[in-house]
Amino acid sequence: MWLPIMGLVIGVIIGLLTDIKIPEEYSNYLSIAILAALDTLFGGIRAQLQNIYDEKVFVSGFFFNIVLAASLAFLGVHLGVDLYLAAVFAFGVRLFQNIAVIRRIILTKWSTTSEK
Amino acid sequence: MGRPKNLSFSIIAAIIGLMVAIQFQTVREPEVRDTRDTWQLREDLMKEKELQSKLLLEIRSNEEKIAKYETERQQSKEEVLRETLAELKDEAGLTEVTGPGITLLIKPAFNLIVEGDNPPSVSPDMLKRLLNELNLYGAKHVSIDGERVINTTVIRDINRVTKINGHSLNRFPIEVRVITENGDSAEKLYNRMKVSTVAEDFFIDNLEVIVNRPESTLVVPAYQDTIRIRYMEPVKTDKGGGNG
Repeated sequence: MWLPIMGLVIGVIIGLLTDIKIPEEYSNYLSIAILAALDTLFGGIRAQLQNIYDEKVFVSGFFFNIVLAASLAFLGVHLGVDLYLAAVFAFGVRLFQNIAVIRRIILTKWSTTSEK
Repeated sequence: MGRPKNLSFSIIAAIIGLMVAIQFQTVREPEVRDTRDTWQLREDLMKEKELQSKLLLEIRSNEEKIAKYETERQQSKEEVLRETLAELKDEAGLTEVTGPGITLLIKPAFNLIVEGDNPPSVSPDMLKRLLNELNLYGAKHVSIDGERVINTTVIRDINRVTKINGHSLNRFPIEVRVITENGDSAEKLYNRMKVSTVAEDFFIDNLEVIVNRPESTLVVPAYQDTIRIRYMEPVKTDKGGGNG
């Protein structure tokens, strides 16, 4: 359980220590990619809690979502339409749904354990 | 929870963390705002001013050094030698000279030429006489038809064409430029040449000499060729240094 959190912390520390910066114009793509990644992460946590977790689905979904979101943003920039908003919307909604589901599962688990 | 399941989860979490950190760093960059107040700005300005004055001081000291070196150079023997060389070159006629002087024009006197006569030409003797006259009355630098007259200049008749330094004098008018010491001597030379008998001598050869009014800036060209010294060699001093 603690290993993923460790991984997150290690990633943040590495990112801050190496002082990597991407050009200003690509920060849009990275932000949308982060959103997609977070969505996948929370989706994975939810699946874990619902016991329908599949590693292949999770890993492939992670990379595929990132690439899809970034390419959608890229297409939007070239079409002159803010297409990345669609990705933001979709991922945002799913993020909220996933978190809500996680909350409910944890709440039910907690209430069942307290009843015992 | 199986072990590989958790591992992939952690790796992806690490990747997300990395991405978030990078994005954070990229976005944070322009967030660094200038929040200094007036006094801090003043202090910073003071610091910069101090730096500026320091730099100015440095520049000044360097300039002083340059000036010192310059004066040292000027006072050194090398500079004396340089000056002497320049003077000698000037005297020898290897440099272009500008100064006050007069110009003389030698051209055919058409009203004296009878039909059937040979076209007039300047004889070397006449030219030499003119030069002597000019030198007598204070000419410093002379050029004839663009050819500088120096100590070793030869004026002679080659195949019935008068030549100076190998340059043929067969195109009229021939301009003689004379530079004198100063404006006064130019005036004096002008007056002397006006009353000189040389002009009359030129008349015999069907030539007239026009003496123009003195000019304040006249340019006499440099001697074109190299001066060949064949029969000169330095004097051998008997005892080191000598005193003459």
